[in-house]
Amino acid sequence: MSGLGSGAVAAGSTPLPHRSVANIRSPHTSSNVNPSTPASSSRPLPSSSFGSPSSLRADEDILILELGTRKLQIGFAGDACPRGTVWFTPSQLRRVGDFRDWSSESKTNVDWKTKKVTGERWWSRDHELWEYDVREADLGLIGDKVERALREALTRYMLIDSRPRRMVCVLPSGLPLPMLSAVLDSLFSRLQPPTVSLLSLPVALTVGAGVRSSLIVDLGWRETVITSVCEFREVNTSRSVRGGRLLVEQTHKLLAKHLPENQKKKADNTSDNAEDYDLSFEECNDIATRMVWCKPHLSSPAAPKSGKGLPTLHEQDESDVAAAGSSTEALKTVRIPLRSCRSPTTIELPWEALAEPSENTFFDSQYTESSFDDHELPLPLLVYRSLLHLPLDVRALCMSRIIFTGGCASVLGLRGRIFGEVSKLIEERGWDGVQGKGADQMRANPKLRGKKGSRQASSGPKGVTSPSEAVENREQDGVWHDAANTTHDVCPVEEQLKRGQDTRPRVQGRMRAIESVGAWSGASLIAHLKAAPVSTIEREAWLQYGAAGASKPSEVDQKSARQSLGPGGLIRGSAASNSWTLGVWGMN
Amino acid sequence: MAPLNPYTYIQCPCSDSASLGRPSDATSPTSAEADDEDNTFDPRAPRANFSLYPLEYLLYCEDCHQIRCPRCIAEEIATYFCPSCLFEVPSSNLKSEGNRCTRSCFQCPICIGPLSVTSIETPPSDPNLLAPDRAATQHSTYSLICSYCNWSSTEIGIQFDKPNSIHAQLAKIRNGGASRLTAKERKERRKELSHRGGEAAVAAAAAAAAASETSGGQDMDLETQFANLKLFYNSQLADPNAGDNGFSSLGDLGFSSPSSLSRIMNLYTGGKLHDPRAKSKLGAMREAITADEGLLEPDLDESSLISQLHRSDFLDTASSTQVCSQPPNLGEPHLHGAARFNSSLRPAPYLLRTKRSKRCPVCRHIISKPEAKVQTTRFRIRLVAGSYIPSISIRRLNLPGSNGPGAPAILGDLLEPLKPVHFLLTFKNPIFESLKVTLGAPAKTPGRFPSKVTVLCPQFDIDANTDVWDEALKDNDRESSGRSRRRAGTESQFQVEVGKIWERGRNWVSIVVEVVPASLKLEQGQDLLKEDEDVLEIPMFVRIEWEVENGGDDATTGSGRDKDQKEKRELAYWCVLGLGRIKQG
Ligand SMILES: [Zn+2]
Ligand SMILES: [Zn+2]
Ligand SMILES: [Zn+2]
Ligand SMILES: [Zn+2]
Repeated sequence: MSGLGSGAVAAGSTPLPHRSVANIRSPHTSSNVNPSTPASSSRPLPSSSFGSPSSLRADEDILILELGTRKLQIGFAGDACPRGTVWFTPSQLRRVGDFRDWSSESKTNVDWKTKKVTGERWWSRDHELWEYDVREADLGLIGDKVERALREALTRYMLIDSRPRRMVCVLPSGLPLPMLSAVLDSLFSRLQPPTVSLLSLPVALTVGAGVRSSLIVDLGWRETVITSVCEFREVNTSRSVRGGRLLVEQTHKLLAKHLPENQKKKADNTSDNAEDYDLSFEECNDIATRMVWCKPHLSSPAAPKSGKGLPTLHEQDESDVAAAGSSTEALKTVRIPLRSCRSPTTIELPWEALAEPSENTFFDSQYTESSFDDHELPLPLLVYRSLLHLPLDVRALCMSRIIFTGGCASVLGLRGRIFGEVSKLIEERGWDGVQGKGADQMRANPKLRGKKGSRQASSGPKGVTSPSEAVENREQDGVWHDAANTTHDVCPVEEQLKRGQDTRPRVQGRMRAIESVGAWSGASLIAHLKAAPVSTIEREAWLQYGAAGASKPSEVDQKSARQSLGPGGLIRGSAASNSWTLGVWGMN
Repeated sequence: MAPLNPYTYIQCPCSDSASLGRPSDATSPTSAEADDEDNTFDPRAPRANFSLYPLEYLLYCEDCHQIRCPRCIAEEIATYFCPSCLFEVPSSNLKSEGNRCTRSCFQCPICIGPLSVTSIETPPSDPNLLAPDRAATQHSTYSLICSYCNWSSTEIGIQFDKPNSIHAQLAKIRNGGASRLTAKERKERRKELSHRGGEAAVAAAAAAAAASETSGGQDMDLETQFANLKLFYNSQLADPNAGDNGFSSLGDLGFSSPSSLSRIMNLYTGGKLHDPRAKSKLGAMREAITADEGLLEPDLDESSLISQLHRSDFLDTASSTQVCSQPPNLGEPHLHGAARFNSSLRPAPYLLRTKRSKRCPVCRHIISKPEAKVQTTRFRIRLVAGSYIPSISIRRLNLPGSNGPGAPAILGDLLEPLKPVHFLLTFKNPIFESLKVTLGAPAKTPGRFPSKVTVLCPQFDIDANTDVWDEALKDNDRESSGRSRRRAGTESQFQVEVGKIWERGRNWVSIVVEVVPASLKLEQGQDLLKEDEDVLEIPMFVRIEWEVENGGDDATTGSGRDKDQKEKRELAYWCVLGLGRIKQG
């Protein structure tokens, strides 16, 4: 059968293979029929069940859906903001008609303790849509969660009927394919949109800031993701586990430490059992969003607090705060009521202590740089290295278009702190990323430098790229190849821009943060302007291919040669891993 | 532990039961090799919760003879209304005015109680002003007040000049009292400018914008930034100077046309530019440069907010619940961390609600239709599943030998592990035909702690739900003939017999299920009990069969058949019976 081909080709011209999502699908086909149930009960809904006749379509409304780890946002294309936000919560996992969570609204309950939930990350797990670990994931459950949250949003906030509507889905670009597939399965089979278009979060954010290139610093829940976008294309991504989840856990640690019951036994036993919690996730999450803040000044442990303001921007204000910090005001304590512990209490802790969770989560400045694994780099270093990995001209553009986003962007002081520390790192190190003795020798002896370095030096705004750096990058980062290759594409574009009628210079080469209206709103703009997103999938093609794909692996194999997306394409690391992409979802 | 009343949940057949029982296993996409064990519906699987419903939540399509749940039904909106003022809202307003009441209905940002408009009494400086006639002429202001928690909009620095159209007034005031231009006003002002002075005025406006940009564009709220961006992109795409740059044709490209993707948003994804013209098109659209075009530089210095937090009490900050129930605030720049303060909260206009008609997605027949009037909660049509499929009620039986003599079975009693216990299931037939019921239950409940289950009478007939008056007469008959002897006597006098029903009534039948609850003892290294893992739930497959007169609306489809012949119908589904909690330890 024609499967993917028919769907994609019928839609018009030949799309690039990597943009066709029609050829991925989760192994669970919804058409699987339980052989034990009688035919009458398992009769699948016909595909036309929600009325394919176009008269029944609500053509004018395009729905924009943004999916994150902790919440779903939905609204109409063209609107400035989503109409509804639904958070993923444990109560959504309950059966319809089971109102236990609502009846125990009084937050004094300690019910969360009697849950005795076990398994990895049980403490926060039910507040999340997904964990990116494909082996652990129950893909069907992810689909169910999305469906339920979406129905709630449609009924409560969108107030629309169930006529099929086209949808645009904004997704994090690191979302593994099987999960993307599970989401699409759920959308297509349950809500019947005629098409679903995919947009990556960084691109939507970039459009939402009015620029074409950017450095997205997504201070997200599961992790922090730094994405360099150049001319609406994601060229480099790096991530760190330092995100919201860690912040809430650090907050728990801080609060638990101050519990009277723990203060007593602190002396004899300080067991660091990660799975042992004294307070509920809900409460710690709440306190983290309310009270936790971030010290704006650079915290070199030994250095005195004053006179060490940021090298850039708001020097005066920083020293103000620093001064305030050293005054008697710093001795102020904060009283926080706690209700989810064994016996409700109010703890009193120093104001300064409330900056600890963010300090430990995002910076960990007491450790040396080399002691961190790649996935746990402190954020300023992560941002700096992300910039370092970029080709010079791309870097120049990106560093002047830094967009902070994500839930942790609301930790007071955090954005400024990261921005300041990155600026300082650049000031100290320039763009020569290599540190240490060997690097110093390299710098001292220009002969050791390769041709490449000198070539690039001519065009860069600042510093040079040493060959050793390039080699290092190549080894560290698979994306580098891509990025390197694209520089040749970028250059003509740059020239094009310069030659174009718009002669105003673009801001580049200096650190600058810009504000985006947000990913959802960016996607709303894109849809409103009728610019097409990365990928558009037709419902029929998805459902049709899905059924065939599950039963005819040989055919899929054939396609994989052409599409570079094998049957194992659902799992990353198939033979053709270096070339296949699915929009951005194929890149990492 | 809270006591647990026995309950019944039904799984709508629209859910894909094949994939429910086990976690996703990428290696076995086919279910062919799955044996009987795997096909047992596991009510404890996380996915099961998404397909189980109490009977009252289910509807029924008379034409398809199928249960319909909220997941497999098509909805149409009958009425939009505000739950506070009960005014009906025309559907055309929804797109333009949003999903909230635009009259004066607001919820308290602290406690979600309703807010009311109250005039603020300014203490007169001159006692003579107290005279009532003078007070009336005095210019007074108004605030929104919560009668539950005494919150007042003055706490966020907001007062109103008029007691009506609060929604419109609120849109023009920021927290703290500063006024702002709404998007509409901005648009009009822009239009006016370009009308009046043409080029010069536009240039002046641009200069002003540039000036505001240098000051950081701090004043630019989200709504304005979005509007500016929209305007900027539109102007870029329509720039006449751009000539044949292709971007003017952006509007022609269908949103769903896959070929257009590459050219616009994702020019480089392929690594190669396959349309040479695309290259030249790219140069046409530039980036936003000024605040007027939507470019905004945030102020990353949050030291004043940190100082504010420093001065604040814990209760001066808003809880996550309070923040989440706030409608998006488009009247401010990105709030980021500032959203945490109570002083940033705003009165929340009530979300509108809908009344919905429901159709069967397959045959499109209406199966639920509400009364149009907002004030009533009645339905014109409502085919509830309870009128078509038998209800199941559960009661614990107290038999001699099982619980010990004389021990009364109290509702919500914990179940003793490893001790046989009996439950009485009563099936009630709601339809006018007699039903043949076949039950199937696994001998052991799925999960880590399998309890033994024996349905003593898995097959039985239930008499039709005949007219109530007939029944009254029959009942009298029965009473005198002693047919319902069991009702009068005590349960403990009777023995449980395999293959026999326990008791039968007009349109109901009781049968007995014997259960041996599992022991919940944990072995070394076993995970702790999960939430509700101590609840004894048994999955049960119910198949009902009945015969109907082949006539009426089915006559046309049953072509060639004898009209007098009866037609067989059947319906089958999984349900879950929650019996009680097993005693731990
Ligand atoms: Zn259903
Ligand atoms: Zn109202
Ligand atoms: Zn209130
Ligand atoms: Zn029907």
